[in-house]
Amino acid sequence: MVKLQINGKTVEAREGEMLLAVIKRQGIEVPTQCHHEAIEPTGNCRLCMVEITKKNWDGWKKSVTSCLYPVEEGLIVETHNDKLFEIRKTILDLQLARSPHSDYVRKMALDYGLEKSSYPVEPDGDDCIMCYACTRICEVLGKSAISPTQRGHQKVIAGPFGEAPPDCIGCLSCAHICPTDHIKWNDKGQTRTIWDKSFELIACSKCGKKTITREFADYLIEKRELPANYFEICDDCKRQETAEKIGSLVVRAREATI
Amino acid sequence: MKYRYQVIPELCTGCRTCELACAFKFARDGKPGRSRIYPLAHAKDQYVPVVCFQCDDAACVRACMFDALRRNEETGAIDVDYERCVRCEACVAACPFGCALVDTGFDEIVKCDLCRGNPVCVKFCPESALRYVEIKD
Amino acid sequence: MKIDSIRKLNKWRREIRTQQKAIKTRVLICLGPGCLAGGSDLILKEFRTILKKKKIKNISVASIKKTGCHGFCARGPLVIIEPQGIFYSKVKKIHVAEIIEKTLQRGEIIEKLLYKDPDTEKIYKEWRKIPFYARQQKIALRNVGQIDPDEITDYIANGGYSALAKILKGMKPEEVIEQVSASGLRGRGGAGFSTGRKWATCARAEDEPRYVLCNGDEGDPGAFMDRCIMEGDPHTVLEGMIICAYAVGSKEGYIYVREEYPLAVVNLQKAIDDARRFGLLGDNILGSDLCFDIEISKGGGAFVCGESSALMKSVAGEIGEPRAKYVRSVLKGLHDKPTVLNNVESYANIPVIIEKGADWFASIGTKKSAGTKAFSLAGKIRNTGLIEVPMGITLREIIYDIGGGINDNREFKAVQTGGPSGGCLPADKLDLDVDFDTLTENGSMMGSGGMVVMDDRTCMVDVSRYFLNFLVEESCGKCVPCREGLYQLHKLNEKVCKGKAGDDDLKLMENLSRTIMSSSLCGLGQSGPNPFLSTIMYFRDEYEAHVNEQKCPGGVCKDLITYRINDDCDGCMACLKVCAADAITGKKNEKHVIDEIKCDRCGACYAVCNINAIDII
Repeated sequence: MVKLQINGKTVEAREGEMLLAVIKRQGIEVPTQCHHEAIEPTGNCRLCMVEITKKNWDGWKKSVTSCLYPVEEGLIVETHNDKLFEIRKTILDLQLARSPHSDYVRKMALDYGLEKSSYPVEPDGDDCIMCYACTRICEVLGKSAISPTQRGHQKVIAGPFGEAPPDCIGCLSCAHICPTDHIKWNDKGQTRTIWDKSFELIACSKCGKKTITREFADYLIEKRELPANYFEICDDCKRQETAEKIGSLVVRAREATI
Repeated sequence: MKYRYQVIPELCTGCRTCELACAFKFARDGKPGRSRIYPLAHAKDQYVPVVCFQCDDAACVRACMFDALRRNEETGAIDVDYERCVRCEACVAACPFGCALVDTGFDEIVKCDLCRGNPVCVKFCPESALRYVEIKD
Repeated sequence: MKIDSIRKLNKWRREIRTQQKAIKTRVLICLGPGCLAGGSDLILKEFRTILKKKKIKNISVASIKKTGCHGFCARGPLVIIEPQGIFYSKVKKIHVAEIIEKTLQRGEIIEKLLYKDPDTEKIYKEWRKIPFYARQQKIALRNVGQIDPDEITDYIANGGYSALAKILKGMKPEEVIEQVSASGLRGRGGAGFSTGRKWATCARAEDEPRYVLCNGDEGDPGAFMDRCIMEGDPHTVLEGMIICAYAVGSKEGYIYVREEYPLAVVNLQKAIDDARRFGLLGDNILGSDLCFDIEISKGGGAFVCGESSALMKSVAGEIGEPRAKYVRSVLKGLHDKPTVLNNVESYANIPVIIEKGADWFASIGTKKSAGTKAFSLAGKIRNTGLIEVPMGITLREIIYDIGGGINDNREFKAVQTGGPSGGCLPADKLDLDVDFDTLTENGSMMGSGGMVVMDDRTCMVDVSRYFLNFLVEESCGKCVPCREGLYQLHKLNEKVCKGKAGDDDLKLMENLSRTIMSSSLCGLGQSGPNPFLSTIMYFRDEYEAHVNEQKCPGGVCKDLITYRINDDCDGCMACLKVCAADAITGKKNEKHVIDEIKCDRCGACYAVCNINAIDII
């Protein structure tokens, strides 16, 4: 266990924990965008930055992203002050210029007193905030179908060579984890389209309701060792089947006692 | 003290009080949640409450690629970790009993978590078809 | 033929030296980047062709040696005849026959090929006496321009691999690290971190395996020191890395070379192949227990991959993006294992430190910045080229005594050091010492050694715009402050250049700069605003002229200048002919006129007029 100070209060933390987890445990709210429990932190948004110092640093302070900074004995942490406010405000100000139509960014910017950006706005806007949540979640599930491509302001999340990613299984994890709902997909009839790739949606063999993509089901069957027939029926019909199976057991038991 | 959630299907009359209780337990902002328990007819006027079996080797836990479904050692239930869940619906597709569900109203994946050890359906079932009994050694 | 013992190495060295002594005269032909661009490879070929047929006493094809960059690039192509040190500059292929006949055969000097100091008009026969060279002290560049980079025998004859032999013979790894620490060597890539301390931390790390990496990315525009070392003396880099591998316990090393240096890759690979062949790389080096091998890893054309964590990602085949380095890469680097990453020039110093001892190295330079530093002099300076000087020398000495001052008789305005991450220093800072700390205290930094000199014909607002544009293009794009912040900062800078900015824009730029510096993920962003901050610090009046008067004092920003023909015009029509916008009218022998609306301020007329009849206002 490690002892450190957060906003003047002494707290305990486990070795190897990141500062952000400890801060959240104290109920302190630090803004985050690219942080999510299911993925490794990358420190892209810089919003979770805190100021740290130590007794023997003679007042010298350092700003670090709390999502990536491991706890240390004797650390003195400040989560909110004028400098950090300025940093967070400027980050959101810059994001407002890039993504003026994003409700997610607008709402966070409003919390910092920004109704519009101080910088010239991209008229069409680009709702991608480059948090890398989508690429990281795809990596966790083992596919790494999409990744950041190109560089700098031209950077864009895409499949290899900007084409439909061959490894994508249409699970929509990326679309769901995207904080700005920037990743669009389309379910029409028996087809799902995302990242310019088309997938077959499994239709329940009993009622025809669409569940997940064939590729996603195949991936789960193979990688997670699940029986293939689990995926042929939708959850509504499975519950009905379960009721019928239990029901027939009840009937059989009743007949046996008679 | 450890408990086991018990279903005695022969006693179910299909009154659907459990379903109501569950939906209201999970209501938020004036909207009911999706019920985690389903009394379904298997024959005319014959009902069975279908609810999560909290399987030992659960398909939902296997299917989840992000470790968002984990056994709660205290209640014995398999809980959804909402900080990890990305709503990919792998669990919904995998559960052979259809007990991992999509709550479209709150945009969440839901399943029975035994109300964290205090199941309301048990309290409200008039026929005592649902019980929460202590495990005696 | 494996040299599997130190005794065999010493024997081989003696044999090579005896062989080389037999060659009385050596003709060195500089094939450094500048001279090569000037056609020195054709000069080399011509020498060889003629000498194959012509028989001259004591001279044969073996006397002709190609070398790496000799240093005085402004005067290239260079041909140097040793041991006399005869220095022929601006040599052309047509001169070769004359050099052979007059100098090599008859010992006559060809005056017209000698160097003449433009200020004192003194003519120099020997290169070592020329002020450009005389004030230098070469350690990292000791062999560059003196040996054939393709010949391992040249390296060995000059003492190569004796440092390696010394440590394998009787030094423990800890002792090697001690020597490097005591020498005071600080990272020559620009960060200036204590090399010894870096090696010590890696050696103490518990995880395995350990890696030794060399940063040959050299992304700073205008810098070519590392290029010349990799091209001109590749073995010194290898020897430095092998010594490091011994000290920290590594078996695997990589040299990361930027994609834009194909010749460096070729020369390094040849050196690696030769070193392997002779048992200086691979298993049981020089018959000892040390096993270490090196591979080259090529970059993909990204400045950001010079950053250590991005470099390691690139070597691993992943996307070259930096990571937040709260856990240092010396503990978790390549493949998350302990890694030493040092610059080319840092490794080039190591063999000499081991050979001559830490005290010797520490006695050179200053107390906090020991040793020497290689610089590439570029820009509006007379003597552009590659130099190496002791730390603590002043900017004035470098730019005037060695660099020869500003060319074209113009005035000094600023010197940019440290690449885009550095800053510009004005004339009243010329007496500052060049070392790791002094320049940083004054708003710039020494950086990797690129030094760009600017004259009065430069607009500092435009310089800031230029470097910000570079950084915007090279930013990896991962974090918001760098990707969006530098992008907006550059756009605002462009606004100033166009004369469309107001005072509040300058204020916004200053505030934005502070946030970018304090919140960016890596060094590129953290130092990104430096071009703007250093220029507005020392040249605020230029910014204000752009903002308040819509004027560009340097005469550069196209939207704010006018080209106008004055009364000195003699009607020669030279400018009329080069004007691509057809903006100049006038008959022969009559004063010409520029249509200021058609004129696009390309500057072609200004460049071609040799009687100063065109003003930029």
